[in-house]
Amino acid sequence: MRLHPTLAVLATTLTALTLPLPTLASETDLSIIGAYVRMVPPGTPNTAAFMTIANSGSSNRKLLMAESPAAKRSELHTHINDQGMMRMRQVEAIEIKAAAHTELKPGGYHIMLLDLQQSLKEGDSVPLTLRFDDGSTKEIAAAVKKPQTVMKATDTPEHGAMKH
Amino acid sequence: MKTRLLLIALIVVLSATLIYLAAFWEPLPPATITAARPHARLAAAAKPAGGDFILQGPQGPVALADYRGQVVLLYFGYTYCPDVCPTSLALIAQALSGLEASERQQVQAWLISVDPQRDSAERLQEYAPFFHRTLIGLSGTPAEIARVAAQYGASYQAQPPNAQGQYSVDHSSATYLIDTQGKLALSLPHASTPAQILAAIRQHLAPVAVR
Repeated sequence: MRLHPTLAVLATTLTALTLPLPTLASETDLSIIGAYVRMVPPGTPNTAAFMTIANSGSSNRKLLMAESPAAKRSELHTHINDQGMMRMRQVEAIEIKAAAHTELKPGGYHIMLLDLQQSLKEGDSVPLTLRFDDGSTKEIAAAVKKPQTVMKATDTPEHGAMKH
Repeated sequence: MKTRLLLIALIVVLSATLIYLAAFWEPLPPATITAARPHARLAAAAKPAGGDFILQGPQGPVALADYRGQVVLLYFGYTYCPDVCPTSLALIAQALSGLEASERQQVQAWLISVDPQRDSAERLQEYAPFFHRTLIGLSGTPAEIARVAAQYGASYQAQPPNAQGQYSVDHSSATYLIDTQGKLALSLPHASTPAQILAAIRQHLAPVAVR
């Protein structure tokens, strides 16, 4: 009994596609850019981690959870500017659409680090584990930065935009 | 027979629910969740009048009336604030750093705590200078804070605590500029840039232009 050539090709392609994809795709499709944790004054128990998560894959991804040994608990949060009232709310997940990126930045999405185990100094590195909805995880190290340092870095493009 | 009918009815209802959930139900986006908890009374007052006040600073009472001749910046926030306050205070600090030494002597920036339960004057003293050495934190009784906030049109609302007893405070995030006469001159919206804050300060520091 012989397979029709088209069927054979189809079968091979299908097998090739299904086998490596679930494991390989999740590890390569997401990348984390510019992760940092904001340095806060001594004795301040909470801070936040920011970054850009890029998704080069063809399906939407969700960040479901973050963990860090630097804090007792880590939560995903966002801010809603409700007519000038800044309301911080926990969110279930942060979506990163296919072939797009999501920014975690001051005033918006962020990973809130609650009950810091120790004061963070500028230059410290905070390990973070990010868990996504495809079951994949990312281990990253986020540098601790003074708010002023971060501001200067984000100020530059704004000046450019101010040209008349 | 009755039980059977009941069971069938139950199955129909449950299946319908299941189909509805599978087909139509979507978890509420965060915006909808907050919209469901309106705090109408907290909306910023239409025309805040500003005015004098006395609150507790690191070295005792601080009275706005003693700061005539200076430009005063007011920011309402709290030290457990993980994101919004550090962002705003860093922007203010950067504006302050942009002032000439002679100008800086005529400018005072205050962080007024909207969380007086956790923010003592000591705690604020530990917190505020981190952003700028001239930034001073002010505290008071909940009633005193509420009065000053109402004067300036700032609003805040402590959120229910979580299992660990921690709570966040929703709050407005404008920076109020009080001119050298002690009058509320303007409020700079959340996320105003250091350049905008600096320009606003200078506008009120500068002597009246020669005609």
